[in-house]
Order: sequence, then structure tokens, then C-alpha cells
Amino acid sequence: MEGCPRNKETYPKLLDLIPQGRQWYQEEKNNTDQEKKLELRLAPPGGDEEGRSAINRKITEIRNSNIKKEAEDKSIFNLSGNHSSPSNKTTFAPHISHKRTAPGPVVGWPPVRSFRKNLASTSSSKLGNESSLGGQVNKSGDGEKQVKPSKREGMFVKINMDSVPIGRKVDLDACSCYEQLSFAVDKLFRGLLAAQRDTSGGEGEEKPIIGLLDGNGEFTLTYEDNEGDKMLVGDVPWDMFISSVKRLRVIKSSEISSALRFGCSKQQKMRT
Amino acid sequence: MNYFPDEVIEHVFDFVTSHRDRNSISLVCKSWFKIERYSRQNVFIGNCYATSPERLLRRFPCFKSLTLKGKPHFADFNLVPHGWGGFVQPWIEALARSRVGLEELRLKRMVVTDESLELLSRSFVNFKSLVLVSCEGFSTDGLASIAANCRHLQDLDLQENDIDDHRGQWLSCFPETSTTLVTLNFACLEGETNLVALERLVARSPNLRSLKLNRTVPLEALARLMACAPQIVELGVGSYEDEQDSESCLRLQAAIRKCTSLRSLSGFLEAAPHCLSAFQPVCHNLTSLNLSYAAEINGSHLIRLIEHCKKLQRLWILDSIGDKGLEVVASTCKELQELRVFPTDLHGGGNAAVTEDGLVAISAGCPKLHSILYFCQQMTNEALITVAKNCPNFIRFRLCILEPHKPDHVTSQPLDEGFGAIVQACKNLKRLSVSGLLTDQVFLYIGMFATQLEMLSIAFAGDTDKGMLYVLNGCKKMRKLEIRDSPFGDAALLADVNKYETMRSLWMSSCEVTLGGCKRLAQKAPWLNVEIINENDNNRMEEENGYEGRQKVDKLYLYRTVVGTRVDAPPFVWIL
Repeated sequence: MEGCPRNKETYPKLLDLIPQGRQWYQEEKNNTDQEKKLELRLAPPGGDEEGRSAINRKITEIRNSNIKKEAEDKSIFNLSGNHSSPSNKTTFAPHISHKRTAPGPVVGWPPVRSFRKNLASTSSSKLGNESSLGGQVNKSGDGEKQVKPSKREGMFVKINMDSVPIGRKVDLDACSCYEQLSFAVDKLFRGLLAAQRDTSGGEGEEKPIIGLLDGNGEFTLTYEDNEGDKMLVGDVPWDMFISSVKRLRVIKSSEISSALRFGCSKQQKMRT
Repeated sequence: MNYFPDEVIEHVFDFVTSHRDRNSISLVCKSWFKIERYSRQNVFIGNCYATSPERLLRRFPCFKSLTLKGKPHFADFNLVPHGWGGFVQPWIEALARSRVGLEELRLKRMVVTDESLELLSRSFVNFKSLVLVSCEGFSTDGLASIAANCRHLQDLDLQENDIDDHRGQWLSCFPETSTTLVTLNFACLEGETNLVALERLVARSPNLRSLKLNRTVPLEALARLMACAPQIVELGVGSYEDEQDSESCLRLQAAIRKCTSLRSLSGFLEAAPHCLSAFQPVCHNLTSLNLSYAAEINGSHLIRLIEHCKKLQRLWILDSIGDKGLEVVASTCKELQELRVFPTDLHGGGNAAVTEDGLVAISAGCPKLHSILYFCQQMTNEALITVAKNCPNFIRFRLCILEPHKPDHVTSQPLDEGFGAIVQACKNLKRLSVSGLLTDQVFLYIGMFATQLEMLSIAFAGDTDKGMLYVLNGCKKMRKLEIRDSPFGDAALLADVNKYETMRSLWMSSCEVTLGGCKRLAQKAPWLNVEIINENDNNRMEEENGYEGRQKVDKLYLYRTVVGTRVDAPPFVWIL
């Protein structure tokens, strides 16, 4: 294959397949030899693997179809209208006939698996941007796996718990109040906590995690806001909490004061 | 025809392992057909509905390994409703009743139940290898049966399945006498596992080569596991959430230094940004690196690791690596063969992490590159033409521009010329996915030049039926064609009915095909299953008799088959 074109501004010429009678494409006048070699054309550049006749046969074969010519001709003329002036910077407006182009989120687009979609919304909420619109994988009892686009933006924040080495993520959008958040935390960590406490490998007794918000339980729920401050969960109205929370932490109630004061710098070190 | 005794011919056939070659051998003469069918060890069935278990057993009575694929590819993106089909149960039942000595089962996009897994585990004494990719319908209880009953199990490889995790003790179900494990991959499980049982299992499996953990296996457990398995070749890290310089971190680093055989690294499902530094000692030997789940690791950390991965052949990453990161890859990874760059921001939110520049850099720097999957927000014809010139060796080229219909962002032209250059230059191209603003022209190029193309994915492209016709007429080796949201209709669908006999399947959704067109096709081609998938209006299609001819079909999936209409189709699937 030839090397890269020296003249970077030259675009390769369009295929000259159409019969001469129709002026579908305007050819540029100054066609140097170099440019000719790099043209997108029927035969490979510099080579002659396929004979001209074979290529002609192929063209007729491909274009031999019983379709109405009129409609297509019109559309191709429209095409040529735009192609004939490649320097024209106006946006090419697609004149597609089908009505299905939807401006909003499209089912199954972009073509990534569901678990990759959840990944994306998690990472962007972490970076402090507004959470991106992510589809939530809905798993009902019979294993239904449709991605239903969420009505509001999904908001996953990280949550860690003292004495549990595994972090989780909680969807704050699925909760509408502090109580629901408390239930969610219990659900996420109950098993993990029990497993942690019973390291001999047998079945640990699972105790519900309660009292996260009122200071009465063994654990208390705290969070880090968008300014890096550590706060107790439950002090401000829910909406205000949602707009400022960046991550959550479940700490031992006995260590509230030290965690809120000294935990900050430790967290910052981890993040760099 | 035979100058040699059958045994000699059979011995020669033993050296032919590709199923396509063996299919060709079978066609030479009756004698070879007979010898080949009795000696075939590995059977590959690309569409489980193209044939039946009975026909499989009749033709190949002695096989040991079966690969089955169920749902069409677009099922990965939720375009195929739940319950469509692809059930493995009838296959396992039939094989269990026969006397086949099944040793390996590989399933992709199939529905597997706990019942199937239990039956599988009890029916085949020498069963060694279970590989499930993108399957669903089962739980950890099914895994427990496999663990408990398959005495000689070597591979349990679960890739990207949707598994109902009962947080049970399935890992403990491996008997203490089980020491044969070679591959253990449960990265896709969501629930906690019994870490003690896991450690004991790994410790008593000296042949373990591949270990891929799920997100609930914490760092300290990873450190202990690696200390027991320094022979590991492929590692999938579960969670790496610890402070740098913690004791677990240090122990892990010490263990990793002893893993001199480690060649493949993946996972990092929960990752602290600094976690990659622990793996620096082994990077120079890595041939495969998959960091595409690690959303928390930012570009600079990725780059710091990749800078040392000179032997990398396969790299899967997120676009957070950026164009700059891809330039580092291009200058470091001269052995790179396969690259996949996945998107972090799915909705074009302005964080243009990778652009056409990154793609061009890779094509210029990596001479052995033959497979690429690249998600980006913008592209130009010039870049694609440059890529084509730099890399004429592509076998798989999949480009996904996130915004449908997006033109060349510099010239505002369609991307026909760019993709045209790719298909013209890459003479061995077998798989292509196109995106961005495309007219019928690109399909003319594809039909003319992509002579080896076997799989083509089209979305939001083309103007008229001509586009699809160019492809159907030109690509002689086409096997799988999948199209969505493109204006191709009945004329293209019906132009050459016999073409579909040479293909595995055709998928068309949100196109212009009508019910009348599909019916005509089904009439002309009784050896095709023409399926209409209509979730929303189950019965409307039948009732409106006057208009049905012109009613647009939402989803069409057709495939050649030797066993006629399938009997397990749900109500929303209408087989014409």
C-alpha cells in the first residue's frame, strides 16, 4: 500500500461507477498522479488482481435488482446535490424516510451490555458531575432482565462500613426518604457484617442493622458532602441531602466524634 | 476413493480440528462422511434452532464437546424480550438419555435452569468443562450441583451471565477430594461467597491456572489466595478497596511477585485508584489486560501501568484512558492484536475522552492489530482512511459512534468514504460494525470490497433498499446480518430469498419491512423460520386483516433450519 498522503487536505475521490450520462459527481480538475494512486477506486492501487471485466460483472450483479428506480434516483440525486460541493460546510440533513429516529434515549443504544451501563452512571456521580441518565436493570423474581429507562436520573453513591472490607453502592434515587435509605443500608450490609463476625466459615447469625439515624444503634450513618465535610445523615431535608451527598459511611456509634473529625484526611489520602 | 484403511483416514482426520474444515471433509464422499461423523469430537452448533438434539445424536454419536448458541446477538442489548427462547433443557435431556460421553459444554446466550445444571451434573461421569457466556435463568443452586457431582471438573467458567445469587454455600459443595480444577471464574456473581471454602479449594487445586473472583472477595482474601496459587496464569481481581500500604496491600504485593506465570489480568470490579501499582512487578509479562469494569481508575493510573506492558496482545479498557493514553499504548504495546475501548459516559455528555486521534495513533503504532471495538463520540473520514492505510490487517473492525447519524465532525459529510477505505484495504475483514451518518454508498463499498465479510452490524444507516441489496448481492460469505433502525424494506428482503440459505441468520428491527413482506418470504422459503417478535400488540397483527399487508414489523428474525418451526416459542413470537 502506498504511504500516507503528503497533502493532508486532499480527500480521496468518489467512486466513478455511475454511467457517464448522469452528472452525479463533479470531478475535480487537478488530479495529480499521486492523488490518482490514492483514489478509492475499483482496483487495488498499483495492483491488478481483479480484471476490469470481473469488476464490471460485479457491478452489474450488485446493481441488478428489481426495485423501483424512480424513487431511488431521486434520492441519489439529492445525495449528489450535497456531494458536489464538498467544501460546503452545511450539515448534511438526513432525509431518511423512516419515522423511527427518536431524539431521546433509544432502547438498546448504545450497544453496551447492561452491567456496563451501571458502571457509567456510578463513575460520573463520583466525579461530582450531574448523574448521567442510566438505565436500571430490573430484576424481578422470575429473572426478567429488561432495561427500563429510569424516570429520574439514577444516583449511585459508594457506601462503606466499619469492619467490613467490602464497599457497596446504593442507589439514592430508589429511596425517597431517610427511612428507606436506612433499610437499604441494612439490606446491603447485613449479610456482609454477619460473615465478617463469624470468620470460622459457618453460618453467622444475621442481625438487622438498625438505629442508623437516631444514634441508638450500634452503628450510625454518616456522609461526605460535596465540600468534603463529614456529616451525620438525617440533619437536613432529604432533597438537600441528595443534592450534596457524595459518599456514605456506616461507622460505629461509639466512634462518632473521632470519625467525623479525623476521618477526613485519611479519606483524602485514599483518593489520590 | 479410499486407498487407505478407515483407521488411517481417521487418524489423518484427527489433525483437522476446525469444525468448518471437518464439515468440508464430510462432503467429499460417503465413506469420508461416515468416517468423519464417527470421529468428530467437538460439535459446534451456531444456532440451536437450526437443528435438534436428535439429529445431533444421529449424526455424531461419539462427540465429547458441544458448543451451542441461542439468542441472536442483539439480545445483549435488550432487544430480544425475556422468554424468547434458547432453552438448553431439551438438549441436556436428550444427551442424558443417550450414551454420549459428554465432557465439555459451552453455551452462549442460552437459558439455563438449575434443573438443567443438576441433570447435567448427574448424567455424565467424565464431565470436565462448563463454559457459560451471557446465559441466564439459573442460580447458585445450579452451580452447587455442578460443584458437588462433577468429580472430574476442570473448568467452571462463568462469563457475564445473569445469575440469581442465593448467597449460599455453593463453593463449599466442591468435595474435599476435588483437586482437578483448572479454571474457576465466578466474576459475574453478585453475592458473597464463603471465603474460607474458596481458599481451601484454591489451596488443594495445584492445576489451577485461571481464577477470576467476584466483587465481594476483598483484598485481604486476594492476598491469601495468591499466596496459595503462585502458578496462576489468569487472574480476575474482585475488589481492591484498601488503603495504600495497608498490611493486606503489602502481603498482596509480596504474593504477586511470586506469580511469575501470570499473563492475564482482569476484574477490578471495585477498585481504589491506586490499586494497579501493586501489579507493576508482573506487567512486563502480561499479554492480556481487561480493565473495562474499573470505572474508578482514572487515566493517569492506567497509563502508568500500561507503560510497562510491552508484551500486551489484548487490551480492554474504558475511554477514560483518553487519546493521550492511547498514544502511550501505541508506543508501548507493539504486540497488540486486539483492542476494545468502552464508553464511560453513554450519552455524549461532552467528556470526549477518546476521539479519532486515539484510533489513528493506535493504527499507526500497533502493526499486529487485527481486532478493534471502539466507542467514541466523533469520527472523520480522513481518520478512517488513515487507519485503513496503516492497518490493512483488520479481521474485526467495530466502530460505534455514540450519537446516531453523526456525520464527519470536520466536513459534515457522511462517513461512507471512511468505511469504504476500511473495507477496500482490509481484505481479510470478517466482522464489521458501522455507525455515524451513512448513506447507501457505504453499502455499495461493502458489497464490492468486503469479500470475506461474515458478520455485519448496521444501525441508523442507509437511505433506500439499495443499501441492503448491495450487501446481500455482494458479500458472498455473509453469515450473520443484523440491522436496526434503517430504512430497508420488503423489496430488499425479498429480492433474493435463496441468499438466506447461505446465511445463519438475519435480524431486522425498526426497519421498513411489513407483515405482508414477511409472509411472502415465509411462503417462498419453507426452510426458513421467519419469526416476528411483537411484544406490544400481540393480537393486533392478526385481527386487522385488511391492513396487515402494510403493517410494519417491529422485529424480524429469520434463520435457516432443518427442523422446521420450533415448538417452544412464547406467545409474542409469531413464526410465519
